[in-house]
Amino acid sequence: MSTIAPDELYRLINEANSRGERVVVATVAHTRGSTPQRRGAKMLFFANGEVRGTVGGGCIEAEVWAEAREALRNGAPALHHFQLTADEASEEGMVCGGTMEIFIDVWESGKTN
Amino acid sequence: MPEARDSSVKALLTEAIRRVLKQASLATLATLIEAPRGVGAKLLVEEDGTRVGTLGESLLDEAVARRAAAFLSSRAEASTHFVKEFAPELEACGDARILFERVEPEPRLVVCGAGHVGAALARLARQLGYSTTLVDDRADFVTRERFPDEGIELVAALSWTEAVRAAVGAGRNVSVAVVTRGHSEDEECLRAVICARPDYVGLIGSRRRTSIVLERLRAGGADESILKEVRAPIGLDIGAVSPEEVALAILAEIVAERRGGTGAPLSVWRREKQG
Repeated sequence: MSTIAPDELYRLINEANSRGERVVVATVAHTRGSTPQRRGAKMLFFANGEVRGTVGGGCIEAEVWAEAREALRNGAPALHHFQLTADEASEEGMVCGGTMEIFIDVWESGKTN
Repeated sequence: MPEARDSSVKALLTEAIRRVLKQASLATLATLIEAPRGVGAKLLVEEDGTRVGTLGESLLDEAVARRAAAFLSSRAEASTHFVKEFAPELEACGDARILFERVEPEPRLVVCGAGHVGAALARLARQLGYSTTLVDDRADFVTRERFPDEGIELVAALSWTEAVRAAVGAGRNVSVAVVTRGHSEDEECLRAVICARPDYVGLIGSRRRTSIVLERLRAGGADESILKEVRAPIGLDIGAVSPEEVALAILAEIVAERRGGTGAPLSVWRREKQG
């Protein structure tokens, strides 16, 4: 999965919001050590299950997806801390072993009930 | 109802952000990410100081707006700060944490000349996430068969000047590599490019050849301060030989310019330390 250009990102948020749909936006807010994505990287989660962009590969993706789905349900944004241990990293065959703070945000416009 | 207010603010924010991106302008998006309440609140601070949204506290909005300029000049894409780090006077919300994000369009690269180097450069730039425009006056050099990646915009130029001007636009967030096949084409492209003052302009060629082109521009009345910024010869010195290596040397210089790197080996400090 590849990164997403900013104009594309906000176009998609805007379109979904105009349809009255909630969009969850995960953003890499802070990193320490060796992490699979840069600060500012974003991933979008839509109500229909579609996703765009990435906040890093297998290391933490499952956990981020779970938190994002929860946020799609309850509409509550929150900052989440993810620890990438060396063991996990080597199991995944990935080069990461730091910590990531990912802000899981909820964008919705006035039309949402 | 506070929630309804928050929701309509989000609609204004996406509109404002899309406008910033469309105008190739620059802004800071600040989001409250840790606080007893109001997490997710946002303030967009545009380059000219225009503000959209709120973090929920007017004094906090003002402190964040002041901090935005320092954040933009750091060149970081995103960073987090506790309020006490930049506004110690706001004791009540000192432990609140703000995510600062840079709002700007995807970086663009305009490649003038679709020869071996230009072609390799366009392909590599795509891998680095640059929105890429490849211009040549030989239509059969800029075909979809040669460049199947739709992310590379192909321009068959009737006139270098007009094609390059259109591709560079206002020059914001744009890098330009002039790698055409000859002196006069290089000169025409450079002349069309430098008025827009893009973030980066580089010209391929030997020291001698690039000096000739720059001298002609100087004689034609081009502004000396602008000419000084032209990277000529283009690229970092990595001993590049093949077109792909030259493309790498050029992109390394463009990334260094954008991210504020020196281009020196990261290991230099170790050797200096060891004496």
